Amino acid sequence: MRSVIMRSGQKISVALAAAATLLLAACSGSGGDASANGPVTLTWWHNRTTEPMKSIWQGIADDFHKTHPDVSFTIEPIQNEQFQTKVPLALQGSTPPDIFQQWGGGGLASQLSSGKIADITQASSSWIGSLGEYAKGWQVGGKQYGVPYQMHAVGFWYRKDLFAQAGVTPPSTLDELNAAVAKLKEKGLVPIAVGGKDRWPDAFYYNYFAIRQCSVDALKKAVEKTELADPCFLKAGENLKAFIDTKPFQDGFVGTPAQQGAGSSAGMLANGKAAMELQGDWNPDVMQSLTEDKDLDSKIGWFPFPSVPGGQGEPTAVLGGGDGFSCTSRAAKACAEFLGHLVGEDVQKKLAATGSGLPVIPAAVPSLKTETHKTISEHVGKAKHLQFYFDIAMPTNVGQALNDAIANFFAGQGGPDTIVASVTKAAAGNK
Amino acid sequence: MSAAITTRPPTAPVPHAPAAGGTRKRSRTRTRLELALLLAPGLVLFTAFVLVPICVAAFYSLYSWNGFGPLTDFVGLDNYVDAFSGEVFQSAIGHNLIIVVLSIVVQLPLSIGLALLLNRRLRGRTFLRMVVFAPYVLSEAVTAVIWLLILQPGGFVDELLRGAGLGWLVRQWLADPKIVLYTLFVVITWKYIGFGVILLLAGLQGVPAELREAAALDGASGWQVTRHVVLPLLGPTIRVWIFLSVIGSLQLFDLVWIMTLGGPANASATMVSYLTDHGFKRYEFGFGSAVAVILFLICFTFALLYQRFALRRDTEGALTRAVG
Amino acid sequence: MRRNAAGYLAAIAVVGVTVVPLLFVLLGGFRTTPQINSSPAGLPSPWVWDNYRDVLTSPVFWRLLGNSALIAVIATVLAVALGSMAAFALSRYAFRGREAFYTLFTLGLLFPLGVAALPLYLWLRLLGLLENPLGVAIPEAAFSLPVTIVILRPFMHAIPAELEDAALLDGAAKLGFFWRILLPLSRPALVTVSVLAFVSSWNFYLLPLLVFNDSTNFTLPLGVAMFQSEHTQDTAKVLAFTALSMIPALAFFVLAERRMVGGLTGSVKG
Repeated sequence: MRSVIMRSGQKISVALAAAATLLLAACSGSGGDASANGPVTLTWWHNRTTEPMKSIWQGIADDFHKTHPDVSFTIEPIQNEQFQTKVPLALQGSTPPDIFQQWGGGGLASQLSSGKIADITQASSSWIGSLGEYAKGWQVGGKQYGVPYQMHAVGFWYRKDLFAQAGVTPPSTLDELNAAVAKLKEKGLVPIAVGGKDRWPDAFYYNYFAIRQCSVDALKKAVEKTELADPCFLKAGENLKAFIDTKPFQDGFVGTPAQQGAGSSAGMLANGKAAMELQGDWNPDVMQSLTEDKDLDSKIGWFPFPSVPGGQGEPTAVLGGGDGFSCTSRAAKACAEFLGHLVGEDVQKKLAATGSGLPVIPAAVPSLKTETHKTISEHVGKAKHLQFYFDIAMPTNVGQALNDAIANFFAGQGGPDTIVASVTKAAAGNK
Repeated sequence: MSAAITTRPPTAPVPHAPAAGGTRKRSRTRTRLELALLLAPGLVLFTAFVLVPICVAAFYSLYSWNGFGPLTDFVGLDNYVDAFSGEVFQSAIGHNLIIVVLSIVVQLPLSIGLALLLNRRLRGRTFLRMVVFAPYVLSEAVTAVIWLLILQPGGFVDELLRGAGLGWLVRQWLADPKIVLYTLFVVITWKYIGFGVILLLAGLQGVPAELREAAALDGASGWQVTRHVVLPLLGPTIRVWIFLSVIGSLQLFDLVWIMTLGGPANASATMVSYLTDHGFKRYEFGFGSAVAVILFLICFTFALLYQRFALRRDTEGALTRAVG
Repeated sequence: MRRNAAGYLAAIAVVGVTVVPLLFVLLGGFRTTPQINSSPAGLPSPWVWDNYRDVLTSPVFWRLLGNSALIAVIATVLAVALGSMAAFALSRYAFRGREAFYTLFTLGLLFPLGVAALPLYLWLRLLGLLENPLGVAIPEAAFSLPVTIVILRPFMHAIPAELEDAALLDGAAKLGFFWRILLPLSRPALVTVSVLAFVSSWNFYLLPLLVFNDSTNFTLPLGVAMFQSEHTQDTAKVLAFTALSMIPALAFFVLAERRMVGGLTGSVKG
């Protein structure tokens, strides 16, 4: 065996290089003309595999086809978790989808090196302004590579019944939150549920402590330079440490999933097993799917992350992100036109009515399903700064390293300096 | 038949048999033709769909590559250096080794015991075999979902322990870094024990009942028959199981990934969960491939040593039996 | 007699431990989700048949089942046919490079296949096998070859040389010996590798995920994932779907298991 390997060693490495190049080259041939006119069929990958959204997207596509007979659609709903596997593969191939789910930020920036994502700055110039700040998350180097169709914001969801039982009201400062936690514990209740197994819910806490501690400038610089240089990021870690030390979470929170099953953090809140959870605006839908309680909506409320004493942060700033789509170059023109249609008032109202996210234009806010969502949407509208989740805003490898460091911090490993260092380390390419 | 086996158990080398070759001469060409006919189809399939993709993936490991653009950023062995210097990767190797050792110490005796039991003429044997094998048929994803429900705080296991007055044994099965790896091992054992049992059952079919009966008639106890007659004859099967089990333990992934994502704080990280987490989840395909190659080299070293010192015995005979 | 009694006791103990999680799935399908949530360890009360009925009457389930069965049968037949031929060559011929060939096949076990997904996908696309059951079945057969060969080789080797000599003396060709004597004698091992190849194809998730975008081509594991995301709130229905989706693979095992006994001793005696 050994001699076989040695004899053919050279041949193998040459053949390998050839095979690798061949495979990549064969698959990167250009798939068509970007400016093609005439009838076109758009392949559309979105992440709504379940009703009612699945049919709503289909309906929106059908409507668009009626007014634009040249544009038809092949829709392929793909589960959210499967995008991470499928998108890199598709972008290596010569026939990637024409429209696909896009969360913006560092992930989008990575995908650009495939050379297949269409620059729609020109094509979207007439309407992109209506989105205001929201469009920025889908820009790289000042160019528009995608468009959000709905936004998300993170805040505290709470059980009104449990708050009443413990005699607390929604806190607006960290001290009030700590007091609420203490009172809930006295009543033998779990104050806060967190899905530590999935790591990203832990990251919400660090993100928010940083947003409250750091000036908007420091936040912007951190994302731009991929470095948590300002001392406020250390201080944010210390504040988080002090908060974790009050033991506000359920037992074994580092192993709790965020959304799977009644025992998950969302399930605990849905079934009255915990009083609060720091989660996105999507949480009511998730919770409803984990409980039989049809009256859930009336029992839960929302309040923004409280202010932190001594913080330099913009008090109204909100942590969030959004769902969007990118176009690939084959049919970029038709695709961009369709994305413009998605952010128009008609479609935005239709989407808002489903309650699956916050509209990207103010005109659609009144169509939101619940009062709570309207409150959130207004809060976000008034916010002077919308901070993208750090793990999405930064390059993917850095964002994941940061989330891991935060999750370890929650599990008692490392300190505030470890969190700060994880970003520097990952940005420098160290593993 | 029993005579043939007792004089030369399958573990022993096959004696040289020149008579056969002498009376019926098969030409060299014909043997080669036969070999080509037998080996080529499998070899073609295997090369095309396993070897070539593996080699291309291994090639990525020399690049810093996010999986999207062309391969341009050649970094040589940097990815390998990074992997070896990572503490998480080192601890992941340790976790894999713990699983390897536990598998052999716990699962092997358990599998043999079960196989011996299920080889008896019990009533409802087919049903019992099916139950033992059923977990192997469940997909990893479903297994994980069931066990997450069973192990969740206040779930089935906790309820059971408290009901039995063993409440002090209740732990945070998946959240306590000191315990999580062993909890996972229990689930792994449940899931894969059927594999060992079915393999050993097949092996036991090669142990003639007459042999055991003869030994029993000679006054040997059940244990003695098992120890001195059955186990030696099961040798080749046991060695194959150990080989597959060690390789499987080194490559452990799906169950761990779905149940704990390697956490909390990497306490249950394995080599493959590490490469998924730090490679593909972070769009660092080159790095992920490098970890895969390291894992491959570890497995390969084991495989070569094992073949040299253990498996060789099972095929040595054929080597000495020169054809043509 | 006493030995059997002890055997039964031991069997019952082990089976008891093994069967509990399975019963959890099976019985969970007969409960409602509120029943499961309020008492994870309880029995169905009352028994609910709707979950199983809904799954069994849904055309989607049967289509998934059909796709999975087609792919698993092709993959199993290919893997066992090509694997037994190769194992025969590697166990009963002596030739230079034999161990090298054997080691080459075992290489497939040593590398985490998920890592090779990207090149495999590009390769399947070049061959035009995307959205095609063969695009899943053929690579799956290739993945199963190493285990098949590793298990079959010592079995085939253990078959006494006297049988081969006798067959050759009777005028049989070596390939005739393979077909008429060695394969029947290797039945327990062949059954084992068939079951293993079938089950691994049945549960394979990554490959169908890469190859299929069109949900009409999906296999059961993709279907279970799809079903789970459609019915997150309905644990009971997911459990019913899960229980039903493992039955065909278990049925294959039960059918195969009956053919396992015998083999060497049985054939020679008979």
